[in-house]
Amino acid sequence: MSDGDPLLRLDGVRAGYGETQVLDGVSLDVNRGETVALIGRNGVGKTTTLRTILGAVTPTAGTVRYDGEDVTGLGPIETVRRGVGLVPEERRVFPGLTVEENLAVGRYGGSETANRRDPEEVLETFENLGRRRRSRGTDLSGGEQQMLAIGRALVAGADLLLLDEPTEGLAPLIVDRVSELIREINEEGITVLLVEQNVAVALSLADRVYILDRGRVVFEGAPAELEANESVMERHLGVTV
Amino acid sequence: MSAATTLLEQVLNGLTIGMVYVLLAAGLSIIFGVMDVINFAHGEFFALGAYVGLSVALATGSGGFWVALLVAPLLVGLVGAGVERFTIRPLYGRNPLYHILLTFGLVLIFKDVITLIWGQQPYQFAKPPLLSGTVTLFGFDYALYSYFVIGIGALIALGTWLALTRTRYGLVIRAGSMDRDMVRYLGIDIDRYYTIVFAFGAMLAAVGGVVLAGRQNVAPGMGNAVIIPAFIVVVLGGLGSFRGAVVGGLLIGVIQTFVRSQFPFLEGLAVFLLMIAVLLLRPQGLFGNPEWGTGGEGGDLLTAGDADVFDSALKRRIGVGLVGVLAVTPLLIGLPSYYVNTLVVNILIWALFALSLDFVMGYAGLVSLGHVLFYGVGAYATVLAVMHLVPSLFVALAVGIAVSAVIAWVVGYLSIRVSGVYFSMITLAFAELFFSAVFKLEWAGSSDGLFGFDPVYGLFAGPSVGSIELVGGVSVFYYVVLAAVVGSYLLARQVMRAPFGSVLQAIRESELRTGFIGYDVTVYKRRAFVVSGGLAGLAGGLAAVQTGGVSPEFLAWIRSGEVIVMTILGGMGTLYGPMLGAGVYLVSKELLLGITEQWQGVLGLIFVLFVIFVPRGLVSLPGLLAGRFDRSPGGGTDVLAEEETEVTD
Amino acid sequence: MAAAESGTVRETADPVLVTEDLTRRFGSLVAVDGVSLEVERGEFRSVIGPNGAGKTTLFNLISGALPPTSGTVRFDGEDVTRLPPHARVRRGIGRSFQITNVFGALTVHENVRVAAQSVYDAGLPIAERFFCSTADFEEINARAEETLERVGLADRATERAAALGYGDRRRLELGLVLATDPQVVLLDEPTAGMSREETRATMELIDDVLADRTLLLIEHDIDLVMNVSDRVTVLDRGRELTTGSPSDVAANERVQAAYLGGER
Repeated sequence: MSDGDPLLRLDGVRAGYGETQVLDGVSLDVNRGETVALIGRNGVGKTTTLRTILGAVTPTAGTVRYDGEDVTGLGPIETVRRGVGLVPEERRVFPGLTVEENLAVGRYGGSETANRRDPEEVLETFENLGRRRRSRGTDLSGGEQQMLAIGRALVAGADLLLLDEPTEGLAPLIVDRVSELIREINEEGITVLLVEQNVAVALSLADRVYILDRGRVVFEGAPAELEANESVMERHLGVTV
Repeated sequence: MSAATTLLEQVLNGLTIGMVYVLLAAGLSIIFGVMDVINFAHGEFFALGAYVGLSVALATGSGGFWVALLVAPLLVGLVGAGVERFTIRPLYGRNPLYHILLTFGLVLIFKDVITLIWGQQPYQFAKPPLLSGTVTLFGFDYALYSYFVIGIGALIALGTWLALTRTRYGLVIRAGSMDRDMVRYLGIDIDRYYTIVFAFGAMLAAVGGVVLAGRQNVAPGMGNAVIIPAFIVVVLGGLGSFRGAVVGGLLIGVIQTFVRSQFPFLEGLAVFLLMIAVLLLRPQGLFGNPEWGTGGEGGDLLTAGDADVFDSALKRRIGVGLVGVLAVTPLLIGLPSYYVNTLVVNILIWALFALSLDFVMGYAGLVSLGHVLFYGVGAYATVLAVMHLVPSLFVALAVGIAVSAVIAWVVGYLSIRVSGVYFSMITLAFAELFFSAVFKLEWAGSSDGLFGFDPVYGLFAGPSVGSIELVGGVSVFYYVVLAAVVGSYLLARQVMRAPFGSVLQAIRESELRTGFIGYDVTVYKRRAFVVSGGLAGLAGGLAAVQTGGVSPEFLAWIRSGEVIVMTILGGMGTLYGPMLGAGVYLVSKELLLGITEQWQGVLGLIFVLFVIFVPRGLVSLPGLLAGRFDRSPGGGTDVLAEEETEVTD
Repeated sequence: MAAAESGTVRETADPVLVTEDLTRRFGSLVAVDGVSLEVERGEFRSVIGPNGAGKTTLFNLISGALPPTSGTVRFDGEDVTRLPPHARVRRGIGRSFQITNVFGALTVHENVRVAAQSVYDAGLPIAERFFCSTADFEEINARAEETLERVGLADRATERAAALGYGDRRRLELGLVLATDPQVVLLDEPTAGMSREETRATMELIDDVLADRTLLLIEHDIDLVMNVSDRVTVLDRGRELTTGSPSDVAANERVQAAYLGGER
């Protein structure tokens, strides 16, 4: 912990949609510079946790603190301005906009953090995007769309990047490249909170792991601890060993 | 003049009016694309532009036109910003149909505000001398002003395109039309852009108003005249597509002009046929992309079925009492027969019409914007039956019901396959098609209508309608109407209690689910549409007999709007609510007529307030008021129950 | 569950539901890729797989919510590939929804009654369909009441469905399926979003009320289906990875790889 307090702290967060309660008192910390993975079976509340951190879902109880400030219920626009970035599930690149334009939308929003990237810089780093800068979002492959969604979040500028299932539906080779990219981003000083179905990817990237089951944190620890703990893997991840 | 120059002249005429359509449709389309709002009041921004321009030009003397061209759009843009902020904004997150209803109310308000300020008489706009006369290009004489309209339209369209593609605002707006929430997740306050978009659309419309004012009269109906073609342009081009608005606008302008001169019998019909064909073959329009829409914010239609607090025994007593009062009303000595024979009969007939709309809108979720079609067809069929078939009132009414039901089956067959907003648009187009067609049909009396017929109560002879008078000059016809309306209500209520009605209610709650418990949703909706069409036809037939004739007015779209207003005002999904709505609407109109000429505007204002604050209508008021004092759950306070139920995890 | 206790899959081939090379593309994405299933009459089949494996798409293809890009669906020997959903329901393929989808403004009884009515819909004379009160159809009402008894909602029959708690709404969801008397029931994550206790109760309920029917159940939770399924099909990235008895599937290395992620 470099600055003492964690960058993000969730305390007893309960949230849901309508009458469906999804989060049943989630508490977790993400420290500056860490990569934290949030794993668990489907429907246990991982995406809802990210949406609650971002402010797209307002918790019915509990608090979300970011950078020492209570941001509970502020809404996505204010939260993003404070330095939280989202790479959403299914990427959600703007289908009718070109790669350049997708990045530009990121530039017009986001937060003025030191981690903010220039669109040109992103196009250079992700050379496959640079080659397709005038292609529309719909014309990109799944891997390219994922790169673009991450690039867009970097252009918007984030100190804490929330990544929701970044390897979902990608071919194994592309999964490796996306993983590599996430590692690089983290090395450059961006804190990462990663939701992953792909447990292998999550364990390879994360400094710490939280397992969520039925709306609660049921495990917290280093990847090695989890790998050693077969019963937790089996019980909460459905991985039969 | 050679054939080539005639053709050229027609194309130029077409492009001139087409450019005006482009100015209107571009705003409409962008507003829909970004905000999912279908703005019926857009034609009023256009008219307001012309009137404000007129005043500005008069006030500034020579060169006033140029000042008007600059100032009027700015002022109208400000009005647009205010409209968005205070009336449209509270409705985001509700079903887009509430915006249609709201902006319909705004149309009534704007119309009356315009006549209040500028009066009924048409004005002539003084064209600047610089733009008068003709010019000769390639050996061809043509009005300079038309070139000016085409030029300025093209310039503004180009500017808008550049703004959309090259500026920061344009980019965010386009992104927002594709995925509104993602824009928010990037930290951009898209809601603030809505005001800008709406104001900008109003400005474009106002420019259209000013430039068209230099070509024709400025008159109160001018907004009404352009809004329907503008909608056709937007639907044709693809809702939300700027390119579609430009291509569609020019196309419709040229086709209209060309058809008028080459195929006069198709004038007014061709564009509607085109729109219907496009909606059926390619519902997303020429340039629309259905997969890019945001679409995620459509809420439910708010029915009043569970919002009223009276129990059924009390309601039955009130209903029976009301019918009893209506039955003895003619016998009340001292009541002028005008009230009974005209006002009460009128209310009863409109109550029946509103009932017919509620049958499909409140129970099957089909928002028909062209319901006047079945009312009008019923009226014409009834009158024609009396004139040519048999003089019997009852047979004629039956013919009216049957013909309306058949037309409803055909329209339903074609339009129920498209959903939501597109269904509303296609029903509107069908109604307008018949409205235009009736002017062409000599046997239907063309624009004069059909008057002077004499229905009888017997089969071939007997006392004719209006000949038997009861106490106080009230006709027997009053009781015929009363019986027909009460009978229709009881019938509709029974159908809703029967297996058929229970399926309709299931469809309203969840179409998807109804399909997956084994019902053919399309077939059920079509059947409901036929029943509804028949009831509307009966209302139309009664209205024609009551009026003593039928005219194209019976098919005017404003009546579709009025019946929707009544249905919402009363509370849809209850059958009796809309009937109550019809009564309140017409009585208010009667009362307001005595006080102010601006009765439409006042009614519009009341309606707008209802849509915003009491969307479940009058029948939900007792519950709402009770809820104010007693905040217990189930007190009817949850006017807007949870909108968001998506589970993404 | 009776069939599960026997532990073996019957060899007598009596497939009631067959898919042949079923494929569905969305643009460049192949959501379901050449899936061929044979579900035996009376079988409890679970379909599991990680997120994005194509499970719900497969259900949509079988129930008719989506047309396949290629391949066929056969039910009871009949090709139903081109039939709309309601026609498949009439033939005996019922489905539940992952996100509860009941008729909120109707009462619990009305919900189940309208579902039960669909069984009789085709045979109703026009006059009865349009004008007889639903209360007068004794057979339909009896059927609705029996269904409510079985899903344990009989005492809540007069409440509006929207007022039910989450667990009861899931029960009603099952009741809607049951009332249409399906031969094959497709259950799309019936325990999604439930607490442990509710999950257990729901699985018991399914076992209890649907035991005599053919079941096809989508689930993420491997544990949940192990004890109740006759056979398990594992999907991964749109393809059928394997089908077998629960113990075989659990021991399958490729399955573990798919769940742990990355067949690398």
